[in-house]
Amino acid sequence: MTGTITASAIPFLAAAADRPETARPSGSAGNAGTTVSMRLNGQPYQFSVDARTSLLDLLRDHAGLTGTKKGCDHGQCGACTVLTDGQRTLSCLSFAAMNEGREITTIEGLATAAGELHPMQQAFIDHDAFQCGYCTPGQILSGIGCVKEGRADNDADIREYMSGNLCRCAAYPNIVAAVKQARHEMEKA
Amino acid sequence: MNEAAPRPKENMGEPLPRIDGRLKVTGQAPYPADIPVNNLAHAVLVTSEIARGRITALHLDKARAVPGVIEIFTSESLHGDLEKPKFGPASTSIGPLHDTKIWHDGQIMALVIAETIEAAREAAMRVTADYDEEKPSTGFGSEGTETVAATEASKQFKEDVKAGDFNAAFASAPVTIDAEYLMPTHHHNPIELFSTTAYWQGEDLVVHEPSQNVHGWKVEIARQLKIEPDRVRVISPYIGGAFGSKGPVTPRTALVALVARRLGRPVRCVVTRPQAFTTQTYRAETRHHIQMGATQDGKITAFRHEGWEVTSRPDPYVVGGTSTTGRMYDYGSVLTKVFLVKADRPTPSYMRSPPETPYVYALESAMDEMAVALDMDPVEFRRINDATHEPIEGKPFSSRPLMECYDEAAREFGWSRRSLQPGSMRDGDWMIGMGCATAIYPANIAPCAVRIILTDDGRARVQTASHEIGTGIRTVAAQLTAEQLGLDIGAIEVEMGDTRLPAAPVAGGSNTTASVSSAIMKACGEIREKLARAAVTAKDGPFSGQDPHSVVFREGKLVAGNASQELKDIFELLGSGVIEQYSEFRPEATSPEAVSKLYKGKMEMVSGEKGEMVKYAFGAEFVEVHIHRRTREIRVPRIVGAFAGGRIMNTRTARSQLMGGMIWGISSALHEATEFDHRSARVVNRDLQDYLVPVNADIQEVTVILVPEVDKDANPAGIKGLGELGNVGTAAAIASAVYHATGQRIRQLPIRIDSLIG
Repeated sequence: MTGTITASAIPFLAAAADRPETARPSGSAGNAGTTVSMRLNGQPYQFSVDARTSLLDLLRDHAGLTGTKKGCDHGQCGACTVLTDGQRTLSCLSFAAMNEGREITTIEGLATAAGELHPMQQAFIDHDAFQCGYCTPGQILSGIGCVKEGRADNDADIREYMSGNLCRCAAYPNIVAAVKQARHEMEKA
Repeated sequence: MNEAAPRPKENMGEPLPRIDGRLKVTGQAPYPADIPVNNLAHAVLVTSEIARGRITALHLDKARAVPGVIEIFTSESLHGDLEKPKFGPASTSIGPLHDTKIWHDGQIMALVIAETIEAAREAAMRVTADYDEEKPSTGFGSEGTETVAATEASKQFKEDVKAGDFNAAFASAPVTIDAEYLMPTHHHNPIELFSTTAYWQGEDLVVHEPSQNVHGWKVEIARQLKIEPDRVRVISPYIGGAFGSKGPVTPRTALVALVARRLGRPVRCVVTRPQAFTTQTYRAETRHHIQMGATQDGKITAFRHEGWEVTSRPDPYVVGGTSTTGRMYDYGSVLTKVFLVKADRPTPSYMRSPPETPYVYALESAMDEMAVALDMDPVEFRRINDATHEPIEGKPFSSRPLMECYDEAAREFGWSRRSLQPGSMRDGDWMIGMGCATAIYPANIAPCAVRIILTDDGRARVQTASHEIGTGIRTVAAQLTAEQLGLDIGAIEVEMGDTRLPAAPVAGGSNTTASVSSAIMKACGEIREKLARAAVTAKDGPFSGQDPHSVVFREGKLVAGNASQELKDIFELLGSGVIEQYSEFRPEATSPEAVSKLYKGKMEMVSGEKGEMVKYAFGAEFVEVHIHRRTREIRVPRIVGAFAGGRIMNTRTARSQLMGGMIWGISSALHEATEFDHRSARVVNRDLQDYLVPVNADIQEVTVILVPEVDKDANPAGIKGLGELGNVGTAAAIASAVYHATGQRIRQLPIRIDSLIG
């Protein structure tokens, strides 16, 4: 899994840890006050967020994009996978404020405005690559990342490079088949 | 067509894609924590760091100082406004904040409410507690546990089944085995986090929470809050995995509702992954003692199965799978007994394939050991002991296609290439093992109500408070309604998971497809009857004077012989644009009040063991394991299962259910276990990094064979469940394959590298 914590985040984290408790901005809603600009699914947005807000919570609670799911909040399940500048990222392990200027793609941003599904979305339907559907947005974004990284050449690679996304319903063989189909479609496009 | 969409055989429905597929792949399916709510306050649980004792002080000042904190609820905050949960409808009788006694690790001690999730989380971390700590008991082998007979502790577990004179038969059996098996604690770990969102509209409460039993929850939540059940609405249209974990009401739910009432604003509590290990339910760890006796030619004459199960101190949850294992084969004599071992643990509950997963694991492991003792092929050993009647009461099986399942799966698997001798098959550095086991699950069915609204444009809406936990029941409901009314599946909408809808049973025990389908068939039959009667009684219509039963419904029309008429024209005859058909399905063996009881939160499920015949779904699973000669790494390159589950409604969703079940079986055999620090009775691996479940790379070839079966004696619809079936027996098949590869018999799950070293 790529891009979980980028190098640029390290000084930020260090600074946060050093900050004395008393220096916290006060206010009824906690530390609202960090401004972050980013593009979500092609549209520019600006948010005023708590420095502690994860990209995942920003997407779900501030941007209303609840298609991105929370399964552990610890980078262990992959349900929150989004694309950050085209790279798959665990949004629960990324502070919102770290995403200044970035282009974020979530599950809501994959189909065309006319409603035509991305080949990966269609492949998941065709191969019944989900049951409850909760991990599915993360699986689909991860599948797109996997293909773009060139890690979808064979079943063994797909299994390995899709292993950051847990599916408790265990649709794994169908997910492999879906990623394989979508790879063909994406290569044709 | 692809592998996910198997071609239907006899008595099987088309593999139509899921009707909610588009919602799920576009992120639009509304799971309960996704619902946008204005002016939301966020709540975070604070849980205990000890497993037994008493809270002497909670220090809240530092938490209160966090900007944005609104309130912290503790045992001093309830003021008698919340009844204690009732074990049964609720997962435990241990109240969330009802006193300061600590019954188990990670017990709810406080609830921090803040303006933001960040503030609530930070404040929760700043709460500290002083305890008066006592030495806790973790479970088997711990000092201080209390062991009681399940029949004495629980009204739910009525009987330790038995037949004949086991002691005499075992004593005189020429070949015997005597072994103990252990299945550890498991946690469901659906990927969706557990959550409660509650708000009040005047006197009425709305709860959004993933639930497998909305009508049951309505009643228990209302009881805890001391309000009328009709004041409570529980909404759970999409559920992010359940596996039993969302069956009973959690100790958190009514508390969050109370907080919302006190604050006068909506409150959402999302339980963290670690907290789910102690505030939600789990599969009890079980220990099994099996004794089996057989003749030299492989006929079993004596079978004894004793089970010990861990439960909490206050609540007697019984797993109790002996009613199935005691009926599985033609044993001659049977002796069973189930015990509960009370420890300082949360109360367990059902988890995928209760109680068969642990009990059949033990039985089928013993079957393999006996086959080895007899120097006999394990499939042939099962064939010799196959039964037409169960041995406890001598009742016939409604159908028993077990050996057909074995034969189909064995052929696909290539079982004939297996050499009998353990350790005899190799591929370079990999030792190869092959094993098999029986899958069995009772065909359960329950009362269910449904409303079908058919409009004159040929569209229908199906409403029932059933639960889409990923099984595909929405799709099956739409497909069946379309078939019954002669409509296209695209013309059917399905609404589920809301107490405003007609009552449906718990999504548990694989009853849903049979129960919901039976209700839909009844409602559709009544709609057809109304329309057909209108058609045949019309004076100058094409059907006038014909038998209403000769009219069929096809492509949005009524058809009889060469005559046909548009649905719209029949509605005109009725003088209405809409038929709203409310129907109740009640299995024969239930009381006349069974459906009204469903609305009152009580369910009369008819178990497959009840009645003149016993009704089960069957399967056979074959697995190949590869174990590295030096590292003992265990891989499962392929697994084949053949299953007979009566009428199959949709081969696509059926295959996916069974495939997922088999992978759950692989998981219980080789991956998952909740680990405890036995000094503190605390969970050690309380997250998805350390609680191992299979990832994609752990799973290779999984083959599902659907064996055609017609079983009208199981229930009038001939439908049996599949969700639980695939996960039964798998662990035994894998343990047998490990033995075949290595000659090592591992009787404690999970089997990991360290099980095979030393």
